[in-house]
Amino acid sequence: MTRNRFIDLPLAAVAMLVYVSLYLPILLIFLLSFFSMRRGKVNWDTFSLSWYAKLLENDALGGALWNSLLVGSLAVTAAAAFATSAAILVRSRPDSHSARLLEYVIFLPFLLPPIITGLSLLIYFREAGVGRGILTITVGHTLFVSAIIYRIVLTRLNALSRNLVEAALDLGATRIQTFRFIILPNLRMPLLTGGLLAFALSFDETMITLFLSGTDATLPVRLYAMMRVGFTPTINALVTLILGFSILLTVAVALAWRRNADSARMTSGEGRT
Amino acid sequence: MTDKRMTGHVPGTIVLWAICILFILVPLASFLAYGFLPVIDNAIVYEPTLDNFVNIFSNSSYRTTFLRTMLLAFEVSVFNFVLGYATAYFIWRRPPAWRNALVIALAIPLLMSYIIKIYAMRGVLGTNGLLNSALLAFGVVDEPVSALLFNLTAVRITLSVVLLPFMVLPICVALERIAPQVLQAAADLGASEIQTFRWVILPLSLPGAIVGAMFTFVLASGDFLAPELVGGIEGFTFGRLVFSQFGLAFNWPLGAALSVLLMVVALAVISVARRLSNPRWQS
Repeated sequence: MTRNRFIDLPLAAVAMLVYVSLYLPILLIFLLSFFSMRRGKVNWDTFSLSWYAKLLENDALGGALWNSLLVGSLAVTAAAAFATSAAILVRSRPDSHSARLLEYVIFLPFLLPPIITGLSLLIYFREAGVGRGILTITVGHTLFVSAIIYRIVLTRLNALSRNLVEAALDLGATRIQTFRFIILPNLRMPLLTGGLLAFALSFDETMITLFLSGTDATLPVRLYAMMRVGFTPTINALVTLILGFSILLTVAVALAWRRNADSARMTSGEGRT
Repeated sequence: MTDKRMTGHVPGTIVLWAICILFILVPLASFLAYGFLPVIDNAIVYEPTLDNFVNIFSNSSYRTTFLRTMLLAFEVSVFNFVLGYATAYFIWRRPPAWRNALVIALAIPLLMSYIIKIYAMRGVLGTNGLLNSALLAFGVVDEPVSALLFNLTAVRITLSVVLLPFMVLPICVALERIAPQVLQAAADLGASEIQTFRWVILPLSLPGAIVGAMFTFVLASGDFLAPELVGGIEGFTFGRLVFSQFGLAFNWPLGAALSVLLMVVALAVISVARRLSNPRWQS
């Protein structure tokens, strides 16, 4: 296809606007974690790592960070078990009405505005007499991230040949053996990617969590509270560190995917329908 | 053999449905039921009435806030639809190596904390913010514009920025799915670039784009963080109205009743999006 400059130029202008607007807030936070600013201009002489040093002394942020990591790990584990079972069930009979309905229900907490997922769980837990805390946040996050893991696992299962499962069962394997030796090894990458994506979603989830957290705040909820009473640049330092860490993790996963895809192509031992 | 396979499903199915009912459907039902409960002397009375809904429909400020928020969400999704489609189309026309880098560059901002991005938009949009410094530096304006922060415009810009990746990425996926043979066929049959776009590329990628726009609409209509942090008093939205019932106002049943409106709109949009993303629609 020939490249038409009259089409590409306006497109490039719009794309540039989009990328600049996406990165401007990030750039601002990054700069403010090292420099101070006056009247919209960065004062380049004020470089310091003091906000990073102060980070170590901030116990409230540390506690909130720990809560976030805890909730994320628990929610991802629970969601992986729940979503994988649901995906296997739906895959085993994709045309049944109950399977379609199950899929729709699993997607609801993800697709509805977070404010609705949050307040419906808040009301539910209150009526059930469950106090707000790590447990309630974890339930909310589990429901929220299940859809993502479900989607990724189901895509992989759909690519898997049904014959593999049939063959295992015909050879006398029990359902558990079939799952353990045939299905699970094929789900390693989707579970890793889905799990990381789900963890990232949980780590950042704010609106559902605001309804479900009592005194145990997660990091975004703590940040929200801090913003309302007064914001210290320590937060910029923390967020910059977290962003750097997430980027490293993403690159590592992308590389793992590529290696996995290469080795899959070389052995081509996987049946694809 | 078949029997064993069928029976193997039953306990699993029951457990999965039990989880769904217990943690998704019952909470949604209890939230709907709460909307019918009156509050008397700051206490919830468990005798269902239609008071909250009558109150909502007769109160013009609730109505205006609702309509204003729906309009705002619609504006954000249309705006992002146009920007997002152009960006995705631009990315798709690059060579593969460039394409991957550009898509990754779109995903990275999603790793940045949502709430921090919204907060940072204050630093971008404020009178002493980056945007004003840029406008001054390029001579677009003579003095800083103060109309960019703490109003509905600020909410529009902020939501648009934080939700953009959710718009561009689905369109990238839709464009990526178009088989090269189809484009080759169009070219072989003598279609011009514009004709190929109008009759081949656009129809094939539009469902994905519309689904992205609807997702944007649902997220924008219920958001209360962006309006709270950059909207000021002027940028009062429906999401804030609902959230305030659970905080200061402490009227949970009214909050629940108000969110029913939000949920009806969201479910309608989701079911249309589901129909559109169904491949059968294209035939």
